[in-house]
Amino acid sequence: MTLALQATGITKRFPGVLANDHVDFDLEKGEIHALLGENGAGKSTLMNILYGLYQPDEGEIRINGQPIQIASPHDAIGKGVGMVHQHFMLVPPLTVTENIMLGQESVTSGTAFLNRLALLDRRTVANRIQTLSQAYNLAIEPEAVIQDLTVGAQQRVEIIKALYRNADILILDEPTAVLTPQEADELFEIMRNLVKQGKSIIFITHKLREVFAVADRISVMRAGHMVGTVRPADATRELLAEMMVGRKVILQIDKSDAHPGNVVLMVDGLRVEDDRRHMVVDGVSLEVRAGEILGIAGVQGNGQTELAEGLTGLRRCMGGKVNILGVDTTNASPRQVIEAGTSHVPEDRHKHGLVLSFPVRENTVLCTYYRSPFARGIELNYPAIEEYSQDLVETFDVRTPGIMTSVGTLSGGNQQKVIIGRELSRPIKLLIASQPTRGLDVGSIEFIHHRIVEARDKGTAVLLISAELDEIMSLSDRIAVMYKGHILETVEAKTATREQLGLMMAGITPEGTHV
Amino acid sequence: MSENTGSIPRNPSLMMAFIRQIWNSLKLPLLAILTAFVLGAILILITSGSLTTLIQAYEGMIRGAIFKQRGFSESLIATIPYILLSLAVAVGFKSGLFNIGAEGQFYIGAIGAAYAGVAFNGLPAIVLLPLSLLVGAIGGAIWAGIAGLLKAKTGAHEVITTMMMNYISFRLAEFLVSGPLRDPAAGLIQTRSVSLQAELWTLFSIPERLQDPLNALAVAILMAVLVSLLARWFVRSSKDARFTRLSTRRLVYLGSGLVAGVIFFFLLPAFTKIWWPFNDLADRMHIGLFLALGMAVLVWWFMQHTTIGFELRTVGANPNAAKYAGINITRNILVAMGISGGLAGLAGTIEVLGVSSCRCLPLFFSSGYGWDSIGIALLARNDPFGIIASSFLWGAMRNGSDLMELSSGVSKYIISLIQALVLLFVAAPVVVRWIYRLKGDKPTSATPLTRGWGG
Repeated sequence: MTLALQATGITKRFPGVLANDHVDFDLEKGEIHALLGENGAGKSTLMNILYGLYQPDEGEIRINGQPIQIASPHDAIGKGVGMVHQHFMLVPPLTVTENIMLGQESVTSGTAFLNRLALLDRRTVANRIQTLSQAYNLAIEPEAVIQDLTVGAQQRVEIIKALYRNADILILDEPTAVLTPQEADELFEIMRNLVKQGKSIIFITHKLREVFAVADRISVMRAGHMVGTVRPADATRELLAEMMVGRKVILQIDKSDAHPGNVVLMVDGLRVEDDRRHMVVDGVSLEVRAGEILGIAGVQGNGQTELAEGLTGLRRCMGGKVNILGVDTTNASPRQVIEAGTSHVPEDRHKHGLVLSFPVRENTVLCTYYRSPFARGIELNYPAIEEYSQDLVETFDVRTPGIMTSVGTLSGGNQQKVIIGRELSRPIKLLIASQPTRGLDVGSIEFIHHRIVEARDKGTAVLLISAELDEIMSLSDRIAVMYKGHILETVEAKTATREQLGLMMAGITPEGTHV
Repeated sequence: MSENTGSIPRNPSLMMAFIRQIWNSLKLPLLAILTAFVLGAILILITSGSLTTLIQAYEGMIRGAIFKQRGFSESLIATIPYILLSLAVAVGFKSGLFNIGAEGQFYIGAIGAAYAGVAFNGLPAIVLLPLSLLVGAIGGAIWAGIAGLLKAKTGAHEVITTMMMNYISFRLAEFLVSGPLRDPAAGLIQTRSVSLQAELWTLFSIPERLQDPLNALAVAILMAVLVSLLARWFVRSSKDARFTRLSTRRLVYLGSGLVAGVIFFFLLPAFTKIWWPFNDLADRMHIGLFLALGMAVLVWWFMQHTTIGFELRTVGANPNAAKYAGINITRNILVAMGISGGLAGLAGTIEVLGVSSCRCLPLFFSSGYGWDSIGIALLARNDPFGIIASSFLWGAMRNGSDLMELSSGVSKYIISLIQALVLLFVAAPVVVRWIYRLKGDKPTSATPLTRGWGG
């Protein structure tokens, strides 16, 4: 057995945090090794060490058996380690060839001095890209401009970029976060192809389903430690979840059938523009009934953000009607929408959901501070607010030193619990939840999912917008798929399949392709 | 101070955290001040080359600021406008607005007071004094409100508009003082002196002023309100079961106020006639100090304990979240600028009604208070009580600098340098942490002072 890469006893300290505590990790030649872990478990730190962005405080790294130092990303590439970041490092107006050349420009000829003046040798590079894309089955047109490519294709460019620089070890950081299920399957196919031809891959993810689809071995990290390494055949999703969280996790949501009541939210032909004045919500009609969850599925950036903002008064609607419980709230102010009985879990908790410099106390009454008992006249009633906050912190299991702690110092999961707690603790008729569990750990996701279903069972109408298809499928009673500003189709969640939804998310319906 | 000091927690463990927090927020400014004075000393030492000069300089500064005859009074007199103006700047900062026009609003306030104090001549003090203060404050509020309106309606950045409006107000003041409002009888170019009834009382004149029953009544009413508010605070923080009924509580508030009012009305005039500590005629110390301190408490209460203050702070800390929470941003920009300008205007009225020797607005009225106050608010991290302390430091240094120059020959402008160093260290806390080997806060807990240009 040859090890492509071996890291032993890697320790990395940051002020106040032990990010990696004697972590051992190895990668065999020609395998896909998945690295699982929640946010803050230390995956990124470990990968940044392997990629030369950080230097370990202790420990040793060997590549092909040779102990080495990786001083910088440039050094890493030279030693055959390539990384595909979650956020692509591509220049949108340049072509594929130009992007791949960037930082390593080949020139036609000349001395070292003249190199700086010589012409760029696009043709040789394009030919090599062509060869690489055929060899590894990565369909890419070298002359295509990046901004015209789909997200999946851009990712392929990133992979070719690493291969072009002769990487033998590829680190893929959460590569599926931006893909449709079909695109993810294509990526897995590419990954298998790569390892077949002798490359080795480290695959970082927090999605349990994916590791079973593609990994040869699975390592799990938690709180800076390597918890263990298993083979997919010996593991179950429950086992991996337990390794990640450190306790038993119930992944399957137990929910009874919905008993939809009267229509709470009615949207008719809604049109909303984005910041660049493009009509990104173009004639959306939907209705949500009391006691049901309507899930809006779709790849990010298909108008879901603007839809939620249009419904909650944060963004002007250019056309159409919104009606909450018979009250016309088209272009109503956020306060009027709140007063109509709406709660909104915003997509971006730092931008909209919380005032990070304020304590937990103030954040729990962000939308209700002016109402009794929190205010008496114009005076805030702090004892009442404190009692309420304390209660909320306990009920929603917010891990905080106290209600006077700045919300900005809490972890993402606890911040989101403050928002969920705030939005679900008042009598509401409608809950609009956008990406309610984005970036959260498995434990917090489980908790929040249960709360949303609980709200539904109490008769709240829930509009759930999420880019995570798993989340949509496990929570929703009905699923509407949004593509390029339209609702393509609404289906019953019970009968929907991943494949069917995935195709629709790519704009393909039984009737044909929507563009 | 951070946002966390809204109310004093009642629970003992929270109380400890509260104390620790106060210490944490005081630590850096105090060390910044210390470091600035040490560096200032080194500078004096280098430039003069003698240790005696250094000792004379700092000794002179302290003596001038505090121990000289009327030194302390004069320091306090300079502190008063600093308090009000930095409160003005701080209210803006807290609401996410950079009101750089405090100096201009100060001028408008001064014009307002100089006008009202003359125009309504003949009214008794109980009406004229508050009226003059109010006219100036409203003038400042409107002046700043224009900048607020421009921002809310057109997005014009308040730094530009308030700065430009400063120059308009300076020229407007010059025009009014040398033209329509000019006192033709005076040798210098200045407005008429305000009515005696519009003047802010000096502490020396209080016993005499109280002989007028109307004045005594005004003081008694003020004291009654104050005592009633104190009673309210006491009752609310007490857990005593006797206070649970609303009618009982109201009775306590009303009763305590009434008793205090009656006592002050009947006894204070007679008492001050018999014994009064402020008997130096030349001492210019005036009741504007109580006004400034009162406004600091009021601003603290308003920002931390009212729904409007909550809205302002939310808009200041995260306008997106404010919008999400249903807060009307436009209205809050206007409210913030109005309050900020009002406080600055009030500072201007005090200079006219209590400090200027002619009790008028002279042509050359340059103060620089408004500019300094931006730094004071920065040093105090927008905390009203911090502002009181920082304002006193600035006022004392300003006042002590003359004697420092006189007794040591060191230029009095060295205090500007020391003040600049203080601000430098406050703005760049990393330097102070490094010098004193303090452990850093986690970056997330650092409260941004203002979003400044981002607004």
